[in-house]
This record gives sequence, structure tokens and C-alpha cells, in this order.
Amino acid sequence: MTTYAERPTISPAPGSLQPGVAPASKGKNFVKWITSTDHKTIGYLYLFTSFAWFLIAGVLALILRVELTRPGMQFISNEQYNQVFTMHGTIMLLMFATPLFVGFANVIMPLQIGAADVAFPRLNMFSYWLYLFGGLMTFSGFLAPGGAASFGWTAYAPLSNSAYSPGIGGDLWVIGLAIGGLGTILGAVNFITTIFTMRAPGMTMFRMSIFSWNVLLTSILVLLAFPPLAAALLALESDRLYGSLIFDPANGGAMLWQHLFWFFGHPEVYILALPFFGIATEILPVFSRKPIFGYKGLIAATIAISALSVAVWAHHMFASGQVLLPFFSFMTFLIGVPTGVKFFNWIGTMWRGHVTFETPMLWVMGFLVTFLFGGITGIILASPPLNFSVSASYFVVAHFHYVLFGTVVFTMFAGIYFWWPKMTGKMLNERLGKIHFWTLFFGFHITFLIQHWLGIKGFPRRYADYLATDGFTGMNMISTVGSFLLALSMIPFAVNVWITRKSPMVGVDDPWGYGSSLEWATSCPPPRHNFLSIPRIRSERPAFDLHYPHIKTEGH
Amino acid sequence: MKANWQLFSSLSIFYVIMTVIYWYVGGEAVGITGMLLAACLAGMVGFYVWFTQKRIGKLMPADNLTAEISDGAGELGFYSPHSWWPLPVALAATAIGMGLIIGWWLTLIAITALFFGIIGWVTEYEKPLDDPTMTASH
Repeated sequence: MTTYAERPTISPAPGSLQPGVAPASKGKNFVKWITSTDHKTIGYLYLFTSFAWFLIAGVLALILRVELTRPGMQFISNEQYNQVFTMHGTIMLLMFATPLFVGFANVIMPLQIGAADVAFPRLNMFSYWLYLFGGLMTFSGFLAPGGAASFGWTAYAPLSNSAYSPGIGGDLWVIGLAIGGLGTILGAVNFITTIFTMRAPGMTMFRMSIFSWNVLLTSILVLLAFPPLAAALLALESDRLYGSLIFDPANGGAMLWQHLFWFFGHPEVYILALPFFGIATEILPVFSRKPIFGYKGLIAATIAISALSVAVWAHHMFASGQVLLPFFSFMTFLIGVPTGVKFFNWIGTMWRGHVTFETPMLWVMGFLVTFLFGGITGIILASPPLNFSVSASYFVVAHFHYVLFGTVVFTMFAGIYFWWPKMTGKMLNERLGKIHFWTLFFGFHITFLIQHWLGIKGFPRRYADYLATDGFTGMNMISTVGSFLLALSMIPFAVNVWITRKSPMVGVDDPWGYGSSLEWATSCPPPRHNFLSIPRIRSERPAFDLHYPHIKTEGH
Repeated sequence: MKANWQLFSSLSIFYVIMTVIYWYVGGEAVGITGMLLAACLAGMVGFYVWFTQKRIGKLMPADNLTAEISDGAGELGFYSPHSWWPLPVALAATAIGMGLIIGWWLTLIAITALFFGIIGWVTEYEKPLDDPTMTASH
């Protein structure tokens, strides 16, 4: 039997944002959005904004691919090419993928732990504004005289100093990222506090959904990784503006920057991976009709990844010849183990389940396949002798696109299709979703699989051009064709969102039928403070227990 | 809250161990400092959560395996229904950064704006003490 208790909250102010209710006027609606303190609205703002950056950086990637199709410089200059790949990397990592985590965490995490909002609603909005303004500032370098930053997203010293990269485009890049990073840090503080203090009664730490656990551990990694980045960026800016010599190669500044940057950069990779692993872990049990296989094992694996990810940074610097190869190689192999444990759990969840292939599940399958490829090349790159021969080639480019695109983009779409009814109250079209998936899947693999061989044949990353006699032309053409197929896959998605905008509301709490975590126990979309009633929580699947009381979930 | 402080404390201990190993095998200064600071940060959070748990001294409903939802009844706290203040404060913070590039005059204006923005933010829900409608303020 399930007991219901009224959840006492302060009633929403008259006129506060209620999703699904027609706004009084466009202007009033606009004011409601920009003054909102509702975690769901702020989450939607994060999701919209990061998706917009995804499209912008995608267009930048197409410019790169078009330029590389044939030998010779056809469209842009070398300097413009440098600016485009710098901004492509910067936007994709720091203005698309990282805030996308904040967006999903904002919308879903408070619902999953049964909280009315996040702990600091105004700070939440403040984080969003810092992210938006920091991002626009970084991007505004394209309007600056001399153009945007062109030293690569890694901004290695001394290339990034004012002598080798003059112009305010680089300054805007540095300061914009510092401001956006501040927003990310504040967001992480908000999430940790929310998870520690605002869980519903009975929602113990070991009944929390895996996604919420991953949000917690990702937030811890943000706290560990972003302050070193902010320190490095401000020191770099001091070098650029005031002539300090912190990153002067004469006193070891080049290595100092690389260490500081990758001390941020490697945990950042896991900041991008963990929340999206969480999304996959939410979706797999729902469409396998089984509880998660090895719930505590998954949490232990995630904790292990978070702990180890702070001690592997210098594997990005093997080729510098100045780092401890055995230590970092061993640690890198070691961090592959908990990631393998996760794969074991994901497959165990599907094993002997009644697997159905609705669109979200299809995207998760795409994630598993793609990320597995990236993981295998990651093991190859962790070995210094193999690393030396392909370092800074297209093999590395292919590797990190398999890891990051496989994780972030595939599970982003999985999450969008999965939670779209929860966010909007409407289902997306299944057929268009499948067309979207298959065009994106083939587009991605045609673009990037070939780049492994391109790298082995010796094409270096970040080169704007090559000679016809190099023998790279055919493979580059295949890659460019794939990239356009990948870009075209956004059309079915846009059509899907457009044609379903007026479809009927789902009208039930759990349109997928087998939802586990608590967000499926409230209406679609949820009310202002999330729950009119919360079911009794006795396992990590409170919504499933509510809807299927005759099936007992083994409690934790 | 036990799992919470144990999580942070374990991370802290792990980072201390990693620092020692890294130092022992001949690591450089940035990594040693970085991991030691990571240990301090995790240790600080772990200590604060442990200390807070001791101070509260009772099992919170969220940590009670057999809690009913009604155990959490009562005032949940004050939630800002909507607020203008994050926008000007963030604009001022961005302008301070912009001022570093463009010129000190902008930084000075932006610091002034930030000052007023923070006052506005902090006092948004403050009311005179004799106001009987005031129940909570943050």
C-alpha cells in the first residue's frame, strides 16, 4: 500500500511560470523566463543555449571539413582555419557539453530525489547568466580586429602569449572562459548541496538514481578541476595584458601551463562523460524491463572513476618527454577498469530482459557501440610506445570524437527523446526519431572511422592543408561526405520537434510504462514545485514500486 | 549523511595517498601541489559535513530507511518565486572581466554596479523587523 502525504510548500507566486499554460503575452512570458528561479525553467534555458552552441560549433566543424576535402586552400586562410578549429573545440567542450550536463541535472535531478527545487534557486540563475555571457564573450572574438583566438582550445604556452597570438580575440577567449567557468563552479556547489540536504524522506544515498549519483560525482570533479583552470586562465591573462612571465618558457612556463591545463582537462573529460553515462543508465532498465544490474557496483565504479581521473592528467603530455611515463600509463590503464565494469553492468541490465527498441533505447545502443570504439583506442593511446607514433595525428582526433561525441551527443539525444514527454508533456514522433538516429549514426561513423587510418598514415591534426602526393585526399573526401550526412541528421529532429508541438498531452505520469526513478511519479510536465504527492520510497525504483506494487524490488 | 562525509573523506585520503606515491616516484611540483590541494578540498567538505551531522545529532528523514513522506512535513524553507537580481549581478561580473581587456574605467563602473547588485540581491527579501508577514529571509 502506498501512502500519500501532502508536501507543504510555499505556493507559487501568482503568475509564476507554469509550463503548458498559455502565457498572457510574449513580453510577460519573456520576463518570466529571464527572471525565473524554477530549476526546470533554468534547466530548459541551459538545454536550449547549449544546443544552440552545438549547432554553431557544428557549422564551424563543417567549415573545417570543407576546407580539408581537397588539397589546397579553397575557402579560408590558414589563420581563419586556426580560429575555426580553436572555437570549434572550445565551444563544443565548454559551451555545449559542460552546460548540457548542468541543463539535464537541473531539470531531472531535483525530480529524481524528490526535491521542490535546487538549494539556491537565485544562484542557479546567476550561473546560467555567467555561462551565457562568458560564452558570448568568448565567441565575440570573431568580431574583434584580428579575429578570434587561434591557439587551439588547449592554449599551449608560449603560443598563447601576446607575442605569438596578439589581438583581443585571445583576451576575450581567456576572460570569457574564466567567467563561464565561475558559473559552472557555482552550479556544482548548488547540485552538491541539493543532493546532500534536499532528498525526500526515505530517499537515502543508496536509493538515489544512478543519474543523480553521477551528477553528485560530476559536481565534485567540477570543484576539483575548474579552479585550477580559472587560476591558469587568469595567470595567462596577466601574462598577456601586464607582461608577467608566469608561462615564460625560459623558466619552465610551457610545462607549467600544460600541467595546469591538463590537471583541469582530464577531469573535464569525465565531467563530460559521467552525467551522460547516468542518462544511459536511466534509460536501459526502462526498455529492458529489468532493474539495473549491479546498482552498487555501478556507483562504486563511478566513484573509482572520479577518484582516479585526478591522477591521469599527464597522459595528454606523453610526447613532451618530461612526464613520468610508467606512472601515468599505469593509472590510465587502471581507470579503464571501472569503465569496463560499467559496460558489464549495462549489458547485464539488458541480459535476458524484454528489450524493446524505442528511440531513446536506440540512442543508448548507439552510445554503447560508439563509446566502446573510443574506449578501445583510448587503451591504445594509454601505451606510450603506441602513443608516440600517433600523437597529435588524426588518430587522436578520431579517438576523442568517438569518446566525446559517442557519449555526449548520443546520450543527449537519448535523454531528449526519453524526457521530452516529462519536459513538455508531448511525445516525439518515433519514426522520425529513428530516421534521425540512423542518419546521425552513419554520418558520424563515416566521418570519424576513416580518420583513424588517416592518422596512422600520418596526417597531423590542426593542419589546414596537405599535398595531393600525401595520399590523404580520398580519405578526407569520405570524411567530409560523412560530416554532411551528420549535419543533415539535424533536419529530421527539427521536423520532429515542429510537427509534435501541438500533439496531445500524454496525460499520464509515466508514458514509457516502466519508469523507475521518481520523476515518473509526477505529472508531465511537473507542477511548479515538482510534486503534488510523493510515493513512499523503499528502493531505488520508487516510481516503479508505485505503479507495480505487486512486484517487489529488492531494497537497498 | 554518513555516506556523504565518508565519500568526501575517502576521496581526501585517496588523494593524499596518490600525492605520496606521485612524490615518491619522482613527480613534479604542479601535480604534487594540485593533488594535495584536491585532498584539502575534499577533506574540508568531508569535515564540514561530518561536523554538521554531529551538530544535528539525529537521523534525518532523508537518511532513514523506513521514513514516511510525512516525516518531512513542515516548512521546507523559503524559495524565491522569481528574481531580477541574478541578471544585473552577472552582467556586472562580466563587465569587470571585459574591463580588464578594454580599460580600467569599465572595471571601476562595473565594480560599482556589482556592489549595488549584491546589495539588491541580499536584501531582496529583507523586510523591516516589525513586519508580521515576514517569516523567513535568505
